[in-house]
Parts: sequence; C-alpha cells; structure tokens
Amino acid sequence: MTELSDELLVAYVDGQLERKQSRAVERVLEQDDVIARRVYALKNAHSRLEASFEAILAGEEAIVAPPEPQRPGFFVTWASAAKIGLAGAGLVAALALAIAGYGRPLVLPNFAGNRSDATEVEWTGSLPSTWQDDVARAQALLSRESLSVSPEGQANLDLIGFQLGQAVASGLKLPDLKSEGFRFIRGQLLRAGGEPVAQLLYLGSSGAPLALYAKKGEGAAEPEFKSYGAIGGVEWSDEGITYLLAGELDAPRLTLLADTIKKQADAPKPSALNAGKSADAPQAPERRPSVKQ
Amino acid sequence: MQAEEFQHSIRPGLVIMLPRLMRFADLLVGAREEGTALLRRALQRMLAEEYRYQRGVALDVWAFGEIYRHWLGELREHVNPMGQVNIEDESFARLFGEEGDEIDTMTASFIGNLPPQQRLTLLLVYGERLDHTDAGRVLDVPAETIAVRLVRITAAFADQFGQDEDGNPDAFEALYPEEPTLS
Repeated sequence: MTELSDELLVAYVDGQLERKQSRAVERVLEQDDVIARRVYALKNAHSRLEASFEAILAGEEAIVAPPEPQRPGFFVTWASAAKIGLAGAGLVAALALAIAGYGRPLVLPNFAGNRSDATEVEWTGSLPSTWQDDVARAQALLSRESLSVSPEGQANLDLIGFQLGQAVASGLKLPDLKSEGFRFIRGQLLRAGGEPVAQLLYLGSSGAPLALYAKKGEGAAEPEFKSYGAIGGVEWSDEGITYLLAGELDAPRLTLLADTIKKQADAPKPSALNAGKSADAPQAPERRPSVKQ
Repeated sequence: MQAEEFQHSIRPGLVIMLPRLMRFADLLVGAREEGTALLRRALQRMLAEEYRYQRGVALDVWAFGEIYRHWLGELREHVNPMGQVNIEDESFARLFGEEGDEIDTMTASFIGNLPPQQRLTLLLVYGERLDHTDAGRVLDVPAETIAVRLVRITAAFADQFGQDEDGNPDAFEALYPEEPTLS
C-alpha cells in the first residue's frame, strides 16, 4: 500500500496540486484501492462542505443582491449608501439605518428571525465595474513611499508622454500642474479591462500622491466628482480619452485641478510641460515602449 | 450626519456588507439571535473606534476580524470562557438557508459541532472565497494554519461519514440516499 498523507490528498481533491503532482496521485489511485477509497471519501466530504458554504452566500445573493455582487469593497457613494439605508424595513435595513447614523446611539431592536425581510433591501454594494472604479481602488494602495525611487527614464518627459500616448491614445498630453503646487513624478502604464491605462503621478508639498488616469474611450465631457471612500475622483472625457483624476483631496480642489488639466488638453499648443519641445519629439522607438505595465 | 462626513467613514462599507457580517457572526456563535446580538455590540465598537481602521486594508477582512476579536474578548471576560451557545442541529441548519433549503442535518450537525474557529475557516475560505492569507488575518493565525484546518476538517468529515468499517466506498452514499437539499 502506498502512503499518501491527507494533506496531499485534500490538496489533490481541492485542485491545488500542480499537473505533474496530480498525475502522480492519479497513477497511485489506479493501483491502490485503499487510497482510492480515501480520496473518494475526501472528495465527497470536501464537496459537501464547500457546497454548504457556497450556498450560504449564493442564497443570500439571490435574496439580497440581484443580479450579482462582487466582493464589495469599501468604496461606495453617499447616494448608494443612503439608498440602502432607506430602502427596506427589515433586519438588514434596520441595522443599516443604525450604522448609517439614523438613531444614534446605536440601539437596535431584536431582529432575530426576521431575515426574510431582507428581500426588500436593494443591494447597493455591487459597484459599477467601470475602469475608473478599478483604478480608484488601486489608488488606495499608493503612498508617498511608492514614489520614493523614480526610474531614470522618468526624467525624459517627452519620452514618457510619447510612450504613454502611443499606448493609450495619441492625443494624450502630460499636464503641467506646477502652478497648482504639484510636480510630476512619474508615468506608467496600468491595465484595466484588458486595455492600457496611463497613470501620471504628481506630488504636492505634502500628502498622498495625486494621480491622473487616462484611457481610450468616450464618456461625459463635463467633469464629475465622485467619492471613493477617502479618495476623491473627478471623471471626464475629452477627444476620445476618458480621464480620472484621483487623490485625497476635496471636491473643489480636485475639480479645479481637473479644469486646469482640461484646459491644457484643449489648448492648441502642447502642454506647458512639453512647450518648445514638441517639434523635437522623439521618434517612435523601434521596440515597444519599455514603460512599466 | 452630513453627507461629506458619511463619505469618509467606514459606515457605508459596513452597511453594504451587513448580510455578510451577520452570517459571519451567526456562524461564529452558532445561533441567529446570539449572532445578531454579537454583531450589534461589535458594530458599536467598530463605529466608536473607527480610527483604528487603516485605509488600504480590505474592509471586509478588517470587519470580520473585529467581530472575531470582539467575540474573543467577551469570551475571555466571561466567567466560563469555554462556555458556548448550545447549538441545536435543526436551528443551526437554518443558518445555511431558509426552511427547505437548508443543508442536510448530518452536514449541519458536523459543522455545528466544530469549534467556532474551524466553522469560520470554512465560511471564509469556501463561502467568502478569501485566500488563506486573508482568512488567517481575520482569525489571527498564519495562512498555514488555515490550510491545516481545512485538511483536518475535511479528513474528519470523511472519517465520520465517508467510510464504514470495511472502507466501503458506497457507505458514504448510503448515508445520503437522496441528494442534499442544497443545490
């Protein structure tokens, strides 16, 4: 009889083994009935346990969250949160109202047994899956330390602008925000929904980085402010490029910065950052731009 | 509360994930009424000490962990720290769904008799689909401990229901002549 540990067999049942390892286990199973029976039992146990717990949330989603929830993060608009607080009369809604601050101090009735009322609550945790939402989440991972080391190539602003423009859209320009107290630190390419997104990072005299994201696409031309938890964002679209300016700033400040960027993009001349240099814009590199992805 | 203040607090996130938090608390204590009461107390603390939440940390992982730590704290202060809610199989099964949809009583009984930490391990990994690292963060254990727990639980379940004395593979099915009620 071959000795195989439960650890290995459960990993096999759970599909965590690499292909070679799985094949090795399968060869043993073909030859060893005892191990095969053990795997059979583990597989049954695993599937029943997994199905039980999957069903908890699946049933919940069917009740509370048509048509889907992703795992909700902490980003939610005031309107959405207020909506859930005002939507229903059951347990979830009552708890939601209490959390939302309607009725401080937090005094809650006994809700036991009233879960079915949750059907009246509209689930608002599923966020719109726009690229702006995705990158705003990523913004929360940035800090000043994230920018402490800047690749040497970042000093060549023309090259960065050219590379990002090539990847995202030719009309993309690097805004100059010095007059607003923010200096350009670096640009890089991210990816959202399988498409490139340019990320331009700026630092002010203090605080977290300010980021401008740009992606090819159409949207509303007028800047619109949204709050993503502690991060604010202003979205707009211009000449086939959609933008998101994100940072830990309030709505008026971000909107002002967005207006500045918009004006620079609309200006007939190149942005101030590239002024006087566009005629000498670098030739298209033979290789794909080596900007970070 | 002003909209501006609301936007920058953790309250909206907690509101959205309430059903998940409730399920977590219910599974932790093993009963709905006590779970709701625990969640209420834990939420009060979370909101009162909102500053402890560090931006960038997944709010669900943090909130689950807060509920768990709150429960642990209450357990330690209790006269009988080993005391737990007496879990009835039938009512426990209803935590997995409404009447008619709950899991079979054998599975419910097995899960209900697990230590709370092991029940939560199953919920976090199989239900919430957290990876072992995040599940470990919630339960204050290394990711390796989560993996070991899953193996032990699965093996124990297989031992209990999966094999008869002769190791007959049909025995497992014999215990479940019909399909489980959960799809």
